Amino acid sequence: MNPKHRKPFSKDILHIENIEEVCNNITEKLRNDVVFKLQRRGAVIGISGGIDSSVCMALSAKAFGPSKVTAIMLPEQDSSEDSKNLALKLADTFNVKILEENITHALDGFGCYQRRDEAIRRVITDFDPNIDKAKIEIRQNIDQNIPAIFSITVIKPDGKTISKLLPAKEYLQIVAATNFKQRSRMSMLYYHAERLHYAVIGTPNKHEVEQGFFVKYGDGGADVMPIGHLYKTQVYQLASHLGVPQEIIDRTPTTDTYTAEQTQEDFFYQMPFESMDLIWYGWENGYSANEVGKVMDKTEQKIHNIYKSFERKKKTTEYLRMRPIF
Amino acid sequence: MITSIDIKNKIKDYIIKTTLANVEDIADDTLIFEEGLLDSMGLLFLIEFLKEEFDITTNDDELIVENFESINNIVDFTKSKL
Repeated sequence: MNPKHRKPFSKDILHIENIEEVCNNITEKLRNDVVFKLQRRGAVIGISGGIDSSVCMALSAKAFGPSKVTAIMLPEQDSSEDSKNLALKLADTFNVKILEENITHALDGFGCYQRRDEAIRRVITDFDPNIDKAKIEIRQNIDQNIPAIFSITVIKPDGKTISKLLPAKEYLQIVAATNFKQRSRMSMLYYHAERLHYAVIGTPNKHEVEQGFFVKYGDGGADVMPIGHLYKTQVYQLASHLGVPQEIIDRTPTTDTYTAEQTQEDFFYQMPFESMDLIWYGWENGYSANEVGKVMDKTEQKIHNIYKSFERKKKTTEYLRMRPIF
Repeated sequence: MITSIDIKNKIKDYIIKTTLANVEDIADDTLIFEEGLLDSMGLLFLIEFLKEEFDITTNDDELIVENFESINNIVDFTKSKL
């Protein structure tokens, strides 16, 4: 963007003024992509009770009509019960047919839990998956200007926590095992999509796509991603406009992947969405760290370090967005 | 006893080997993260290398840029842990 033609950086810079028009444009594009480009007659979407899948389902209902949308809950043994209740409420709100496919047995078959727990136990020897809860998290601040390194945290029944830096081998095994969850969900979504001659609607937002917060051929495996260009705060704006239930809007985004409660901020983003959206926009559109820092009440150096972190995340995750090379 | 020069050579060799960089592109004060030579996994493997080669364990609170941003910094960090 030519700096002369751009708006001064402000906290409102991502606010969508013409929300109705934006929703109409997205639904029209979604309809055209699915019907004409993909030549499918409806949409299958996995819903988790989270904000992104809720907005995608609401957009799909608007694009195709509720009767041409099938929502699928894909819980497993570590999913929270809240997710199911919210997903049911969402489907009811938009009058969309909903199915439940529990993938716990499939994951057991892959050895997902056993492979994950075995790796955790190599780091924290007294980890007992039957009673303890576990999660992986980044414990450095985003502005420390060093690539993110994950730690494993185990929470004992009495609330005592044990946290250790994850060695490479164990980190990779835990992630690889856990990714069976997203990949099993993708397989099940395609089963239903093929059965119905529908398309699979992917739910990642702009941050997930560009920072690589998705599993390749897992939640990144879809036919169309209607909110892949939207910042998280814009997704919330759409949610309110489309009438997504308030409990879903108010819920803190979680990964719903590990046994211990874990926000997406702890796991990956290292900062609140409201700030991340604005600073990412500033970085992507060439606003100086000084200009952004003044608005965000942070030093120029901190914004510079966050810009560096974004660059690193985008570069490191390029592999996830790449098609097979031939 | 291992000398500072030995430590530096081993660390430098490791970084050159794992990043496939040209020797002349990496000076002792090259900022390895800024230059994109190491990412998260690269740093994790480096920590593992330090453990295997020098038997030093890196703790959570030592994961700061001052300990890892260049070969000189990694050498200083390693020496402080030996």
